[in-house]
Amino acid sequence: MSATLQNLVNQPYKHGFVTSIESDVAPKGLTTDTIRMISAKKKEPEWLLEFRLKSYEAWLKMDEPAWPNVHYPKIDFQAISYYAAPKQKPKLKSMDEVDPELLRTFEKLGVPLHERMALAGVAVDVIFDSVSVATTYKDKLAEVGIIFCSMSEAVLDHPELVKKYLGTVIPTSDNFYAALNSAVFTDGSFCYIPKGVKCPMDLSTYFRINTEESGQFERTLIVAEEGASVSYLEGCTAPAFSSNQLHAAVVELVALDNADIKYSTVQNWYAGDEKGIGGIYNFVTKRGLAKGVNSRISWTQVETGSAITWKYPSCVLLGDNSVGEFYSVAVTNHYQQADTGTKMIHIGKNTRSTIVSKGISAGHSNNSYRGLVKISPSATGARNYSQCDSMLVGHESGAHTFPYIQVANNSSQVEHEASTSKIGEDQLFYFAQRGIDAEAAVSMIINGFCKDVFQQLPMEFAVEATALLSFKLEGSVG
Amino acid sequence: MSTSATVNAGGYLENLLAGQPHLPASPLAWLNVLRAEAVDRVGALTVPTLRDEEWRFTDISQLTKMSFHPVRATISLQVADIERFYIEEATTRLVFVDGVYAPQLSSNVSGIGVAVVNLEAGFAAHAAAIEPYLGRLTGFRDNVFAALNTAFLHDAALIVVPRDVEVAVPVHLLFIATQKDVVSYPRCLFLAESGSAVTVIEDYVSLQEDAYFTNAVTEIALIDNARVNHIRVQREGAKAFHIANCAVSLARASNYQSVSVAFGARISRYNLNVQLAEGAECAVDGLALISGRQLADTHTCIDHAQPQAASNQSHKCIVGGSAHAVFNGKVVVRQGAQRTDSKQSNRNLLLTSKAHVDTKPQLEIFADDVKCTHGATIGQLDDEEVFYLRSRGLSDTAARNMLTYAFGAEIIERIPISSLKYQLEQTVLEQTTVQL
Repeated sequence: MSATLQNLVNQPYKHGFVTSIESDVAPKGLTTDTIRMISAKKKEPEWLLEFRLKSYEAWLKMDEPAWPNVHYPKIDFQAISYYAAPKQKPKLKSMDEVDPELLRTFEKLGVPLHERMALAGVAVDVIFDSVSVATTYKDKLAEVGIIFCSMSEAVLDHPELVKKYLGTVIPTSDNFYAALNSAVFTDGSFCYIPKGVKCPMDLSTYFRINTEESGQFERTLIVAEEGASVSYLEGCTAPAFSSNQLHAAVVELVALDNADIKYSTVQNWYAGDEKGIGGIYNFVTKRGLAKGVNSRISWTQVETGSAITWKYPSCVLLGDNSVGEFYSVAVTNHYQQADTGTKMIHIGKNTRSTIVSKGISAGHSNNSYRGLVKISPSATGARNYSQCDSMLVGHESGAHTFPYIQVANNSSQVEHEASTSKIGEDQLFYFAQRGIDAEAAVSMIINGFCKDVFQQLPMEFAVEATALLSFKLEGSVG
Repeated sequence: MSTSATVNAGGYLENLLAGQPHLPASPLAWLNVLRAEAVDRVGALTVPTLRDEEWRFTDISQLTKMSFHPVRATISLQVADIERFYIEEATTRLVFVDGVYAPQLSSNVSGIGVAVVNLEAGFAAHAAAIEPYLGRLTGFRDNVFAALNTAFLHDAALIVVPRDVEVAVPVHLLFIATQKDVVSYPRCLFLAESGSAVTVIEDYVSLQEDAYFTNAVTEIALIDNARVNHIRVQREGAKAFHIANCAVSLARASNYQSVSVAFGARISRYNLNVQLAEGAECAVDGLALISGRQLADTHTCIDHAQPQAASNQSHKCIVGGSAHAVFNGKVVVRQGAQRTDSKQSNRNLLLTSKAHVDTKPQLEIFADDVKCTHGATIGQLDDEEVFYLRSRGLSDTAARNMLTYAFGAEIIERIPISSLKYQLEQTVLEQTTVQL
């Protein structure tokens, strides 16, 4: 039976291909000159260059974090090219003007952009490597005053907004990779929802790493003004390369009074082959600041790709009655390593947070949940509920939990529970009795295991995630 | 600033080691080698700081600021001085005063068919039996406090239970602190041979309220099918520092039950490492009841090294005043340790707004056919429960005391010795009454 499962898991990466578009690639290595070059190429204002240089100085003084439960050869930061842009072309107004090769790439990925626009009504800010190539539905969003554009455009068109919020949630010296990102970020998404506006559609960005050996440093900033609300989707795939690629993104969310931000991710980057060769290093810093009263920040993630995932989408609950949520499914197979979880920092009164984390490890992979729930003395009446469950598939994999719980007042309630289990022979037998084969049974069991998280995803993402999970684990159970 | 702290810390360890060369050499060559190794390790290690993951919530800089010296002369105590610590059922008693064996206060050490002796007296008969365990179960390579204790190892409480002997009477090991500014190194080794059973009470008490330092190490080896019931009571003086390491090794199908209670000491730290072989079972329970500016830290590691072992852990903390409780409970299931069944729960009760808890229940699992769960809660008394009691005519204070007492009593209930249970329950009652 386990052989069947093995076959199912070991499906090759369907999205592994390289699109040949001429890239404008910077020479390898990182110095202040590289940073000045990036800044100049992007025609950035002086303050942003200073921001980058300050971050670079901070980065030089830092050491790579050694505490995550992941192992990989040391990264040579001077062997990475820090800038890659598809050749500059005039700005496009309609999809017809987009490079047909690029469009075919998206079709291979199963993202027919036209269809998405028409049927789903989603504005897709397409990120191809580091420069935004096409932005859709912008006009429709502009009608209600929403700014949704690439970070480079935002820096040029709305410098006052970017300057006000950039680096306020994740300071430049926050951690090694955030500092690196702050110094060299090339592009990303910027989203601003004005006071009282409910965003009429889900906003979505499709990320893709294309140029071989170019680290990608995305920078995303979402600001929801008083009473605003937005749902943001992020989905990723990457082509198969044998050399490792570094991805160190930074995502900052700011929610003011009564604002609501929902951020969903499906991550399916190249995870390396079945021997653990290649794959993306995904070292991401994501943090939301629930700044205003009654604000809400919700993270949902489905992590199936990357050779190494190092990611802790966090909520700083500063405003009174603010709410933080974290729903996560992390699947690792072969030699993948994931060290992921969340931080909930309760500062305001009556703040509430919920953590639901599901980890599935198969093959030789290691999957760790690492979380922090911190209730400050000022956070009276705070409430947290955490649940982190692990499922092990095969006897060579590992599941770990490192939950830190720190409580410093006596009016708060914190609950944490965790369990580890496997797909039992008796469960499979039960399905078999009813004429359901092992493969379908495993898929059902896994989907049941992850249901609490999938329910949080927007509809089309939930469908994609369910399919992704069964495909990822095909052949590993039984 | 950190540099100066390191310099101080280095000097601190040297000061502590100062008395070590005056120890008389043991007639056993391997014991002398062991001590020398430990001295080397103390030289190579530094005092842990908040930057060490294992110590990140427990600040022992206060301990390093004080200078303690090994005990120079023991104070001779009368039975009347210590009678109040006696446990009725435990007629077999070994007493150590400031870490030094006091034969005149000990009683009935030979009447129960097992060897209950201090280490020096036990060398002749048991040297071969204890050599594989003494200093081997506690890894002192990376643990500076265990290394210090081992460097000063010259005496210990030794219990060797022969094959298939079931000891009916509990054994009471009483460690009494009488002098201030003294560091003592209590040491215990329990060896339960195949099929044997024994109950041991490890009890730390104080006759004075000034600062002193207890650095204890306990090693427990259970051979196949052995059963050990281990009750640990830490009721040190209010200004004391208490750091203890306990390592337990369970062979096939053996059973280890332990209840550890921490009431005393300004700063206390208890490291408990349990390793289970095939089919072994353990129940590891703990209660920390602290107030004022106390800090109680419990680190446990339950290591399922082989298949089919079961572990069950329940740890509770009741924290009042501006006290600080720390719990780090790690459960490891190694590759191949299939059909492991492990449960862990950590519940914390915060009584005041300045009380503070840091907890980290940690699972590390490398086998797939296992059942592992852990849970942690931090909260306060349930208003509805208080209301229920008040509606039956109890005052608010009485209702809260009763609920707090009940919270702690759940752990104390598991102690199989009724007079000790009663003593400890009284302590919990008194403490909760004072606090509220």
